Amino acid sequence: MKLNSTRLVIATAMLLAGGNAAEAHIVAARLGDFYMGVVHPLTDLQDVVLWTATGVLAGTLGAAKGRWLIALFPLGLLVGLLLGQVFGAASTQLADAAMMLAIGLLLAAAAQVPTVLLCAMAFAVAVIRGAANGADLAPETDRLLFAAGLTCVGYAAITLTMALTAVFKRTNSDSATSWRAIAVRALGGWIAAIGLMMASLALAP
Amino acid sequence: MRAIPYLRLALLALMLALAVLMRPSALSAHEAAMGVLEFREVRPGAFVGRWSIEPSIGASRVDLRVPPHCFLRLPEMNCGAKGLVGPITITNLGSNMSVVLIKVIPIEGEPRSYTISTANPVVSVLGTGAPTLEVWLELARTYVNYGIDHILLGADHLLFVLGLIWIVGSGWRLVKTITAFTIGHSASLAAAAFGLIGVPERPLNACIALSIAFVGVEIVKQQRGEIGLTARYPWIVAFSFGLVHGIGFASALAGLGLERRLLPAALLFFNIGVEIGQLAFVLLVLALIWAHRRLGAVVPRWGEALPAYLIGSVSMFWFFGRLARVFVVI
Amino acid sequence: MSLRLPLPLTTAIVSFALTQPALAHEQAGVAGGLVSGLLHPVTGIDHLIAMVAVGIWGAQLGAPAIWILPITFPLVMAIGGVLGVLHVPLPMPEVMIAVSAVILGVAVAARLRLPFAAAALVVAVFAIFHGHAHGAELPRAANALAYGVGFVTATGLLHLCGIAIGTLTRWPAGERLIQGLGAGIAAIGCYFLAQGVGAFA
Repeated sequence: MKLNSTRLVIATAMLLAGGNAAEAHIVAARLGDFYMGVVHPLTDLQDVVLWTATGVLAGTLGAAKGRWLIALFPLGLLVGLLLGQVFGAASTQLADAAMMLAIGLLLAAAAQVPTVLLCAMAFAVAVIRGAANGADLAPETDRLLFAAGLTCVGYAAITLTMALTAVFKRTNSDSATSWRAIAVRALGGWIAAIGLMMASLALAP
Repeated sequence: MRAIPYLRLALLALMLALAVLMRPSALSAHEAAMGVLEFREVRPGAFVGRWSIEPSIGASRVDLRVPPHCFLRLPEMNCGAKGLVGPITITNLGSNMSVVLIKVIPIEGEPRSYTISTANPVVSVLGTGAPTLEVWLELARTYVNYGIDHILLGADHLLFVLGLIWIVGSGWRLVKTITAFTIGHSASLAAAAFGLIGVPERPLNACIALSIAFVGVEIVKQQRGEIGLTARYPWIVAFSFGLVHGIGFASALAGLGLERRLLPAALLFFNIGVEIGQLAFVLLVLALIWAHRRLGAVVPRWGEALPAYLIGSVSMFWFFGRLARVFVVI
Repeated sequence: MSLRLPLPLTTAIVSFALTQPALAHEQAGVAGGLVSGLLHPVTGIDHLIAMVAVGIWGAQLGAPAIWILPITFPLVMAIGGVLGVLHVPLPMPEVMIAVSAVILGVAVAARLRLPFAAAALVVAVFAIFHGHAHGAELPRAANALAYGVGFVTATGLLHLCGIAIGTLTRWPAGERLIQGLGAGIAAIGCYFLAQGVGAFA
């Protein structure tokens, strides 16, 4: 079982890392705008870090709290995409960094985040990233297909990340100092550190 | 109790609206200037290329890419000992130029034509003589990719597979069912590609849509506690509908302009590509089902019929659309 | 345990090696940021030995240091990094970094057992100086997030290396080896300290 879950985590990490290699625009030429929507966030480091952080946080809090995100996260992406189209693109770097810092700190502290707060944060992440993903669309892109692809990949990514984390951490009754709990908290600390550095670089003169 | 028919009606309307939104990306056949580029082999591996019909944007502005081992400076192109084998791409096909026809006239052997269009900006040139290692590799690369692309873009095939998974669940039964589907579509793909059977494309597409609707009905039956044909003999259903879908694959393959002399190999590689895509899809669906179970996020009782109605409505929408195309030329 | 390690490790290395050229291929900004972030903490010997020393010391101190440090250490480094990026001046950064290597090396060699709060304070102060140095030398052109990811990952991995070395303390011979290592770290720190003071004077 230990071996299994380790493999699962590594496989996911490899999938995410491998996603980086794909080039969204070539995919669009080959497979159309739906798959462009699917691949676009996987090639963006901001999306990979933030989606993983959100999924891991929800997964550690347990299935009862996390399962709301299955619907909420894709919905947020859709809303963000829409808002981005209506109000025009803005730089999301600072917002990304702030969300990374907040989610990372909550993870590192192993805080028992209430469901409402978790949902609100996940929705905020989704809206920010949805707007960012829609920002550099070429005018000939079919928005509807792109949105469908983005929603699908958001749903699949968040669901799988939550389930994998839940399996990795097993139960809430695991002691706070088991190596699994520590690994998750350390990941949170690292994500918060990344967010902090990114915020300072965004603010730097 | 009385509310249920209305609920169903509302669901149906919702699904139909969804299906309308999921319109196939129309390949608008807008007329635009066509270009014809001719490559005539003068020495082995060396070609002289010229535009016999110049595209309206001007020949110099066409962004033509030839295989990396070929050196192109029009009118000359030198491919060395490997010959002209590999992908030819035109990247800036767009509003002003929709189709370019490339003619390759070798020293010996038949001349060949390749069509590059907006929908298909890359063509693979496979030489003309006896196939070399380069030709095999290029063939494999090209047709495995075609196969993957075809299954990933074939929403109807994926929906059918999804329906099968929904009915038989995971485990050994699923392996058998998917294998049966694979054998079925491989057999009919081969038969159709070799010309053993010929089915007109439009009625066939309507049939494919109907097969998905059948799976939708079977799901509803299963949920009502009836044991349908699919639940009892999933592999028989999968095999027979696999035959239908395979002919569909063949018509897609025919659209790619396959060369007769390399047909068996191309068929094999295309099929491998289809299986890779299908396996990836099945694994993704299984992973998501596992994740949902793990998170305790299963479909609530009132929504159990939703997926079946979704599958059914989308497929019936396709069916009527395709049926219309059987009788009316759109 | 010994059976389980190689698979994840090789997988990680292979996947990293596979990803690298692909990243370099398209997004020069992201690749540049990631690579410079990863390499930055590793290339300076004084930084490198101090990071490893913190890990070893944490392992020697045992719980709770051994599990609190991996969680908080990159974070405190990042706080230092923020100060560096914003060019908030700290007193004598070069000297402090060398001093940190000396003190941490001595702590490891002498198996110094401070109360956790005191040890954490020492480590935190040094971490801020190290982070500050990295932040101040940051390449401007690089993608900020990619640099952060690379930097934090490299720091964290160095720290884990230290902890892994530190687990040798369970065996007497390993204990001796680690004390020798600590002395070596202190010696290298002394060399950098002499250099830093020389430059300062």
